[in-house]
Amino acid sequence: MATISFDLVSPESLIFNDDVGMIIIPGKDGDLGVLPGHSKIMSSLRPGRVMVYGEDKNLLKSFFVSGGFTEINPEKCIVLAESVDEMSELEKSLVEKEIQELESKDSEDSKDKLYIAKKKIEALNSSFY
Amino acid sequence: MPSLKDIKNQINSVGSTKKITSAMKMVAASKLRRSQEKAEAARPYSSRLEEMLVSLASSVASGDGIIKLLTGTGNDQNYVIIPVSADRGLCGGFNSSINRETFKLVKSLEKDGKKVELMPVGKKSRDFFNRVMKDQILESFVDLNVSQSGYDSALQVSNKLQELFFEGKFDKCILVFNKFKSVISQEVTQQQLIPLDVSNSPKEENPDDNVVKAIYDYEPDEETILKDLLPKNVSIQIFKVLLESDAGEHGARMAAMDNATRNAGEMIDSLTLKYNRTRQAFITKELIEIISGAESV
Repeated sequence: MATISFDLVSPESLIFNDDVGMIIIPGKDGDLGVLPGHSKIMSSLRPGRVMVYGEDKNLLKSFFVSGGFTEINPEKCIVLAESVDEMSELEKSLVEKEIQELESKDSEDSKDKLYIAKKKIEALNSSFY
Repeated sequence: MPSLKDIKNQINSVGSTKKITSAMKMVAASKLRRSQEKAEAARPYSSRLEEMLVSLASSVASGDGIIKLLTGTGNDQNYVIIPVSADRGLCGGFNSSINRETFKLVKSLEKDGKKVELMPVGKKSRDFFNRVMKDQILESFVDLNVSQSGYDSALQVSNKLQELFFEGKFDKCILVFNKFKSVISQEVTQQQLIPLDVSNSPKEENPDDNVVKAIYDYEPDEETILKDLLPKNVSIQIFKVLLESDAGEHGARMAAMDNATRNAGEMIDSLTLKYNRTRQAFITKELIEIISGAESV
């Protein structure tokens, strides 16, 4: 089966770079499932999960991104994410604690962070991954 | 003439200075390697972002709000200059060249009748501009510690900068920083951050590439993406500059400490020579005294 090359880049480093079978990306207007040979698209992202599948559709890795951009063409898919956490490394209790802290503050900045943290919980609670 | 003990003391103190400087050199070398790796790791992101931006920038001619980061406010009366220096000294001309260059830039802009304000990054430039043009400092950032806190430190600067920009406090923003050319040489560079200088970025050489670029689908649409992209680009540019300056600082410190270690070594050599000569002169004098004393008996 065909593969598509996938880069996941954060400002601090290149996090993932390999040929994969499928990627699911949280696009601003809805999730994008990217298979090899996808049409050319540039999109911005909403906070959510980037899921990377191998050639036989087994889940390889799952990341949480807080937003960013993606550029897709038939051979390559690049995700520029602002901050990236691997889903398996996220601790639910820690995120909940963060939410509590953020809820007590009331600034523009903490609202954004709160929104992202809530999305994190949502992603953690989600049944499929 | 200094006594033998004085010279001995001097040799000892130069020796311990040498130990310190060579230790600092070693520390700087290992830090340099790390920050170089960091700067390397940040490169794919910023170059990708820039590519996307260049292909988008042509599609939006003018607009309000965030687009102003690209098109400018239409004025160039008020400037903000961000000198990026280190937090610590002992790194040769690293900080003073930034301060000198910024000072010159400010003066030349003021001569053209522009209003200039400063947002120094790093203790050394903050202290300097606090002395010479205190009332022009808008905000200063110290102890950003980019190698540890990473991207967040750039966000601090970038958020403040954009906040001021959208309040209409300034029209143009210029960064002055040390570009990391090699381990031993840094180049003071000016970079216009706002409005974005798209013409400066490398254009695609292959004409086919441009055709390919043109048929991208945009989701949601070009303008919305651009509105997300532009503020991010400002942060990324600042991040890149901070990393580069950090690497440059360690490089400069390494070179400066290497020089200092070598100078200390030379000084010890010449002091040892002096010590030996003095001691020899002393012995000779005593001998003469003994011999002439013996002769007179």
